[in-house]
Amino acid sequence: MKTLNIKKFAIIAILLGMVGFAFAPASNKIVVKGSDTLVILAQKWAEVYMKSNPNTAIQVTGGGSGVGISALINGATDIANASRKMKASEKDKLKARYNTLGVEVACAKDGITVYLNPSNKVKELTIKQLGDMFSGKITNWKEVGGADADIKLYGRENSSGTYVFFQENVVKGDYASNCQTLPGTAAVVNAVKKDPNGIGYGGAAYAEGIEICKVKKDENSPAYAANAETIKNDQYPISRYLFMYLKNRPTGELKKYIDWILSPEGQKMVVEVGYFPVK
Amino acid sequence: MRKSLIALLLLSLWFFNANAQEATVNEKLTEVNDKVEGLIERLATDEADLSKLNKIKVSGYMQAQYQHFESLNAQPTNYLSLRRARLKFTYQAADGVKFLLQPDFLPGSVSLREAYVVLNDRWTNSFSLWMGKFNRPNYEVEYSSGQLENLERSLIIRTLYPGEYALGAKLEYNPENTPVHVQLALLNGNDGLTIANNAGTNLNSNENKDFDNYKDIMIRATYNLSLGSFGGLDFGASGYFGSLKSNALKTLSSDYTTIKDINVGDAVQRNWFGGEFQLFADLLGGMSLKGEYLAGKNASIGYSPVAASGTTAAIPGVANFQNNFSGYYLYWIKNLGKKNQFSFRYDYYDPNTDITGKDVTIAKYTSTDATTLKNRVSGKSDLATTTFGFALHHYFDDNIRISLNYDIVNNEKVSAAGLLTENYTKADGTVVKNGIDYSKNVNNNVLTFRIQAKF
Repeated sequence: MKTLNIKKFAIIAILLGMVGFAFAPASNKIVVKGSDTLVILAQKWAEVYMKSNPNTAIQVTGGGSGVGISALINGATDIANASRKMKASEKDKLKARYNTLGVEVACAKDGITVYLNPSNKVKELTIKQLGDMFSGKITNWKEVGGADADIKLYGRENSSGTYVFFQENVVKGDYASNCQTLPGTAAVVNAVKKDPNGIGYGGAAYAEGIEICKVKKDENSPAYAANAETIKNDQYPISRYLFMYLKNRPTGELKKYIDWILSPEGQKMVVEVGYFPVK
Repeated sequence: MRKSLIALLLLSLWFFNANAQEATVNEKLTEVNDKVEGLIERLATDEADLSKLNKIKVSGYMQAQYQHFESLNAQPTNYLSLRRARLKFTYQAADGVKFLLQPDFLPGSVSLREAYVVLNDRWTNSFSLWMGKFNRPNYEVEYSSGQLENLERSLIIRTLYPGEYALGAKLEYNPENTPVHVQLALLNGNDGLTIANNAGTNLNSNENKDFDNYKDIMIRATYNLSLGSFGGLDFGASGYFGSLKSNALKTLSSDYTTIKDINVGDAVQRNWFGGEFQLFADLLGGMSLKGEYLAGKNASIGYSPVAASGTTAAIPGVANFQNNFSGYYLYWIKNLGKKNQFSFRYDYYDPNTDITGKDVTIAKYTSTDATTLKNRVSGKSDLATTTFGFALHHYFDDNIRISLNYDIVNNEKVSAAGLLTENYTKADGTVVKNGIDYSKNVNNNVLTFRIQAKF
């Protein structure tokens, strides 16, 4: 085997030294992108934080958890909001692009709420019934104790973390082909409000002026509605954490902002918006 | 009376007119309702069609590059080329079923790089079965060419897994809540190999068929260890257990002294083991250290002698050659802010660990009967190669990466000047006899400037 000469070693050492001390420049602009479930809360956080920190500009947009995580991988955002965990394939992409595993910050808790039209006489469903409805195995309300009418399904687009979470934890397979996908939880709520035979799902923060369906873990379990207590006690069976993902451990203004979100002041806003605090 | 008649007439007119208007409104309503129903139906059909289209994903990338070669043998010494122009079509046929097709379009040729079907188990969500042509289970092979930090894979990986992709079947185990990843592949094992006969014809030219009845097995297991806020360590081990059909009557080992009899059709073993790690550290903006070591026995296939017939002279056979090898690569990758990245790779490959550089050309096998078996002298293919690769990348935007890569390639040296030489041709056509001397370092450095666009 050939031995290295001192000159080459020196060149390599200099190059390694040079790049080893390169840092990303600090910035007072924070870009936040991702989950539509989190967008109202994220906007509220940004609004309040910018009032007390006028030198910091925070730009918040939605688009879905998948969109936010892709933006994080592509360097287009500082914070990716997600209503689901980062997938292994997304972590691999982050590893490849930034050589880090990303930083996960749980910032709120949410119960995926099942919406029904107030005129619907069905008031509670098991996880299995919900799964069967959204996968197309149950197609008529009379099969779950309701009227003899076709079930109209409303859900989110596949870039949404809520879509993925509901699919993995409730549907456990493909969604029924007649499930109408809508761009945002507010649109799902509106559609169910107008449709007596409609059923939809989304974040708890949007559940205003609509019937909330109680959910049972199985046939023999009690039914719970999504509220602060049932979610905190893990009684409500479709609850989840909401996350913020970052490329690296936060520093500077970004760290200050994250710390503030997790502080009692930031967590107070979680409750105001309709979600549940992590602490 | 007349007034009453007029009033009655007017009332009747109003009544008929009102009825007629109501009838028109009802007709209009029915018409609009029918139209809305029709639109809803059309929308549902369009949505169903759109959801089918959503199952097809198209991605791809193109790499255009300029290269400058410092080798005396290189003519031309620099040129522009298209390295890769690939399109990837993925179709999610149903829950847990995926098809993938990836052609590579290059000027003058189109080749199929990948084509496979994956079935995921729906019960435990842990197993997946792949069949078709896919990446061999190896870290650097599976790492996308569009993401490679040094622009080409290490020499040992290019040698052991030529062309990266192989025909076969693969079972993957990825349990949902355990960071373990196990891959077990059954491969034809002949992909990318050249197996020449006595006329120099490649017997392994059919890319869609095995060369023999022997199948190769590859196994790889990795574990992802979280190191908390520091980062993570992925590590694993792999093994390759394969054989090729002998076309020769002798097999020579890489010490150039051990020769064994073998029958045509018998298995010539190719086995190796490896260990790998990837350390990701959230340090100074993100950096990683990655490495892999591989060692074992590889083989190349010779051919049997042809007896003299009529006026045709006898052709001596060439022994199969089984070489003990070892090699490794080590990457150090560092992000420079959001837009730039630096990578250094040290890569070593010794194709023959049984002899050192000083023995090359000295170690030889002399046949007892040169009419039936050719002599074999150790040479250039036994020398180890060391490569220092430096790469800088600028991520222009989400889709474009601009890269500058410089590889310093060093060879193991033979013991004395003139023992191992090669001619080379200058740009003006002049041949310089024995101009390349392997008792010194032979310059094979390469500079590459590449622009990659992906979507």
